[in-house]
Amino acid sequence: MKIRPNISADSNFLRFLNDEKEISDHIFNYSRSMISIINRNYIYEKVNSTFCNAHGVVPDTIVGKSLGEVWGNDVFENAIKSNIDLCFTGKTVRYEAPFSTPQNGERYFEVIFRPLPDRTENIFYILAETLDIHDQKQLEQKAIEKEEEFRKFETNLPVGFIRCDPEGKILNANKAFLRIMDCQDEVSVKEANLKSFYQEEGLFEIHLEQLIDCNAKNLGRVYLKNWYGKEIPCRISGYLAVNESGKPLFVDLAVEDSSHEIMLEDRLLQAQKLETIGALAGGIAHDFNNILATISGYAEMLQEDLHEDSELSEKVNKILGAVSKARSITNQILTFSRHVEQEKVPVSISEVIAETVGFVKSSIPSNIVIKSYIPSKRANVLADPTQLFRVFLNLMTNAIQAMEHTGGTLSVNMDIVKGKSVKHELNKDIVADEYVLLIFKDTGIGMEPSLMNRIFEPFFTTREVGKGTGLGLSVIHGIIKEMEGEILVSSKKEQGSVFYVYLPVSTQYPDFPGKTDRKKRILFITGNKYESRILSLALENTGYELIYISDQNHLIRIMTGEDESPDLVIYMSDSRQIQQGDIVAIFNRLKILTPLILITDSNRELLEEKLLNSGIVKQQLIKPVSLKEITEAIKSLLK
Amino acid sequence: MPGILIVEDDKELRDMLKISLIRHKYTVLEAADGKEAITHFKPSITDLVITDLIMPDEDGLKVIMRLREIKPSLKIIAISGGGKAGPGSYLNLAKALGANAIFSKPFSINDLIAKIELLMNDEQPA
Repeated sequence: MKIRPNISADSNFLRFLNDEKEISDHIFNYSRSMISIINRNYIYEKVNSTFCNAHGVVPDTIVGKSLGEVWGNDVFENAIKSNIDLCFTGKTVRYEAPFSTPQNGERYFEVIFRPLPDRTENIFYILAETLDIHDQKQLEQKAIEKEEEFRKFETNLPVGFIRCDPEGKILNANKAFLRIMDCQDEVSVKEANLKSFYQEEGLFEIHLEQLIDCNAKNLGRVYLKNWYGKEIPCRISGYLAVNESGKPLFVDLAVEDSSHEIMLEDRLLQAQKLETIGALAGGIAHDFNNILATISGYAEMLQEDLHEDSELSEKVNKILGAVSKARSITNQILTFSRHVEQEKVPVSISEVIAETVGFVKSSIPSNIVIKSYIPSKRANVLADPTQLFRVFLNLMTNAIQAMEHTGGTLSVNMDIVKGKSVKHELNKDIVADEYVLLIFKDTGIGMEPSLMNRIFEPFFTTREVGKGTGLGLSVIHGIIKEMEGEILVSSKKEQGSVFYVYLPVSTQYPDFPGKTDRKKRILFITGNKYESRILSLALENTGYELIYISDQNHLIRIMTGEDESPDLVIYMSDSRQIQQGDIVAIFNRLKILTPLILITDSNRELLEEKLLNSGIVKQQLIKPVSLKEITEAIKSLLK
Repeated sequence: MPGILIVEDDKELRDMLKISLIRHKYTVLEAADGKEAITHFKPSITDLVITDLIMPDEDGLKVIMRLREIKPSLKIIAISGGGKAGPGSYLNLAKALGANAIFSKPFSINDLIAKIELLMNDEQPA
């Protein structure tokens, strides 16, 4: 019988079979996994070398021990037992969990429990295989963290990221892009074409060409349309991915909303422009005041030379009247260019606003309603109250004029806001912890944006030539700036305008000079209670006691009464109940020597010579009278 | 006859002031800027100075300080019409430096004359 060569192989294999136990033991022991056999009482029946090495012991010390003893009862009860129980029902259980071994400390393991049924399919033992996957797990964790980090970066940054194909079809867009485009519906954006977000047709194709030339590029400022068609100025950078043959695969764009930036840029430009105009106008006003002084000087000399009844005298008076008007304009220009120093006292802003609202309400047409909300909380600002009155009056008058044909509502709201919270809004250094915010909102004709940008310029007016000087808002701007405040405007054509006035709240409280002394008493004769109330608000805060009178009997009673007579009289020439002649008569009859300050409108012709020549008037002031002027006049007369 | 020095760089205005003061029988001296006013100051014949505040060569504040130093009894009236630092603040500064009166341009010449008369009659040193 020929012995076939493969017999030896067979015999080798038989030998191999004889060694099978040895080999499987070898595999069992030197597997990278910790392998064990566990019985129904959770006791180790058999463990491999890897298991023992991890625990730093020999097999005998583990076999026969319970899992609780080896891993600790808590770990066993919480992380192992239920899985083993499940395995004894015939299922293979696979899970990942961290375990501590004496040799290696806590590491991550993949655990597999396999049931080991006997011939009768009863399960008395299970095979536990535990593979150390710690390094793998760590890598995985790092990858997750990296991705999470990037995801955060992509979702938290206010930068819109968008990917589209070379045709513009959107493949992916992040939350910020949806936010910038004001779109809640993520699905429909992702089905849209990026071209539909471009304001300018064909621009996407141009961008694509630019990216083909140099595959990453800052594409500059681009006007996009949001979901509702509103124009959004954006800053865009792009990246084009291409395949090996240079064919475009997709385009990634980073989109930043730059509307706030542009708004601030505009505002800065605006401020610089006003600053320049102010410097220019201030210089011109200075030269003009010199010229006006010359004109009025010669006119006054001429008037002296002329006989009072001369026809020419009247003409000279007209020249002086014109000089006075011109002076009022140069003064306004100087206020705008902040070349006039304001006398400031702490003023309760709500009082001034309430007085102004009262004054305006008394003369509005019936188709206009004024609603005001003024909180009771007191807030002082450092200001000349007469200037504040002028600011508020002007803003309200403008609002009313904007509604004169259509009628509407002017709402005046006051609020106190934290300085920190308005820093962003004002884009400048905050000078106070709190600001008063006054909002004047009308429902009038509104303005085009181009108009809105220019309203604070001097001589800019929308009215017909000859009606108004166009200085109003520029003067207001100057006054508010001088108070370290800010005035902002927003407006929509046909819907109305809103003016926001921010004034720093002063922590300084009115202090009365010479508190211990008797307060000087000032008699105020006036026909216009609102306007004079503003002046008196100012004077009360500087430490004077004021008595208002509007009729003759009252005046006579006070001047002849038992009470101390006043130290000073302020007389406004517009007082109807007490005419200029009455003053002369009463003062002369009662031989009153109390100094009198006369406040008149700029028009000289309204004044009666009788009053001017009577010697009663110690000082004359022309409206608008600033706090500085009046306090200086009072001080000099009460010296 | 009291002597008045007018320090004003605007010639028309200076002429106007001069004519008006001569009408009221004052002796008038002139200077076109602060430097001229200081270098040619004649204390013996000058009782009062009317000075502009913003001028090209040496401003009015310097004029006030220097002339007062030379002649403490000198009466000073400051006039200003608004400029870079504002008439308000300049005029206040002038007052703080010892100007007896301040006027904002444009002023009434009659008021100015009245003030001059008052200051001239006032024997009190400034």
